[in-house]
Amino acid sequence: MATVTNWIDHLNKPAEEVAGAVYPGAGSSEGLLVILAIILWVGWHVLTAKSESDELDRLSRKRHGPNDHKSNITDW
Amino acid sequence: MTDQLGALTTIFTEFYYWVTVVLMFLIHVGFCMYEVGASRYKHHQHTLMKNTMLIPLVTVTWFLFGWWIYWAFPTGPGLAPSIMNESTALITDDSAFSATWYKATSDLMAVNLGDHISGVFWAAFLLFSWTAASIVSGAIIERITTFAFGILAIAIGSVFWTIDAAWGWHFDGWMLKLLGYHDAYASGVIHAIAGGFALGVLMVLGPRIGKFSSSGEPRNIGPRNPWLVTIGLFLIYTGFWGFYAACNIPIFDLGPEYGMEGISYWTATNIYVTPTTLSGITFNFLMSLSGGLLAGYWIAKGDPFWTYSSGLAGIICASAGNDLYHPIQAMIIGMIGVVISYKLHYWVERKFKIDDAVGAVAVHGYAGFIGLVICGFVLNGYPSSGYSVGAMWDGTTYATINPLGQFLGALIMFVVLGLIPGYVIAKVLHGMGKLRIPRDVEIAGLDYEIMETAKKDERAVSSATR
Repeated sequence: MATVTNWIDHLNKPAEEVAGAVYPGAGSSEGLLVILAIILWVGWHVLTAKSESDELDRLSRKRHGPNDHKSNITDW
Repeated sequence: MTDQLGALTTIFTEFYYWVTVVLMFLIHVGFCMYEVGASRYKHHQHTLMKNTMLIPLVTVTWFLFGWWIYWAFPTGPGLAPSIMNESTALITDDSAFSATWYKATSDLMAVNLGDHISGVFWAAFLLFSWTAASIVSGAIIERITTFAFGILAIAIGSVFWTIDAAWGWHFDGWMLKLLGYHDAYASGVIHAIAGGFALGVLMVLGPRIGKFSSSGEPRNIGPRNPWLVTIGLFLIYTGFWGFYAACNIPIFDLGPEYGMEGISYWTATNIYVTPTTLSGITFNFLMSLSGGLLAGYWIAKGDPFWTYSSGLAGIICASAGNDLYHPIQAMIIGMIGVVISYKLHYWVERKFKIDDAVGAVAVHGYAGFIGLVICGFVLNGYPSSGYSVGAMWDGTTYATINPLGQFLGALIMFVVLGLIPGYVIAKVLHGMGKLRIPRDVEIAGLDYEIMETAKKDERAVSSATR
């Protein structure tokens, strides 16, 4: 996985080889990482959209008045 | 980097943009404070979280495709040939500034010892994206779902504003070539489009409950915490200064860039790679801020909310040409923009029952639009680019700045890429039942359960004996 294992050896290479990507998995893992990011991305939207809908439905059913929240204002 | 001068120039440029990003972060801090200050107590926390979450929402999509769009779309596609490869197609070849280097899978989009600029430049543009989404956020507080706002934030922050930036801000953009479009500090590229987008959303979303009486008269729902609004706007001013710096190239040799043999001319340039100075734009930034504040204080009769917002509107209105204006021109343009925007805000509110909670459509949208149009008259005849000046509509060269081109550009920003997409996406979300929170929740307050839990905690703690 390590792209560089010895900095002295790496910096002694020809300039065009020194100037390049040094992150783990350079040149082989980028596509997989992007797919992973997309899955996480879509999953986050699905999960949070569902939890928001549930929260709004629950609160909506209670039918509080416009000033009811004032009894919940804390002093701390 | 093997010679000291080259290394110094590279590291200086890298550091310069890095600092602008840090400064621009204050814009977002300011927007968060401003929106919370403007919202009512029972909606505070949701208002804050909505604006906070646009940071990751826009950032990830900006990494995945937003930055790619900026580099791919300058030609339209199909509207004007690129000066890099003479094609009107999307720029995805192997030319120097091709989008192919900015795909999410590119090794330049990471730690790369051969590239010291991509990340900080990406971040500078990303902060512009956050700003575009934040502008929309303020207008729609207290009644939109976080899910819907997330979708809208991604649309404006990672798609539509980046298309307009490719068209009208990129040195190779078709709007420069065909229209002579000039918008140095984003009157239209960020502000008019975001204001138009917000207006499109508001047309579908509707007003807050109680905003209009049964006879249609608007009621004032003033900011709950004017001091938070004040600090927020001052932070936005500060971040906006960083934004001005980020829109420049700090040091560049224009002689070889323009193909002038044997001539070397080092200067700062604007985003179009034409000469300006950090000194000059500092004059203009502060004078347009002052013009906005002066006009706002007068027309709003000393109302702090509008006076501070007018300072911002003054800068926004003058921004299109603040790379070249005289400071007094910048001040007067800022004043004109504020007066028209203020009047338009209340006229639209009464006429169309649009509830823009923080005046974002006026401060950003109208002021940006007006600023573009004024710029066309004041800078009429200046070259829109340094590369090669030609006739309007020619397409292979760059038209000069002119009133018609600026007006058409303003329409493209505000209406074509702003209002219409905002309206259409909001309609779709509305059709899915996902746009607006339920009526009972809006009345009770989005934070009702959070507050209720906090009160229970307080009672439990205060009744405890040990």
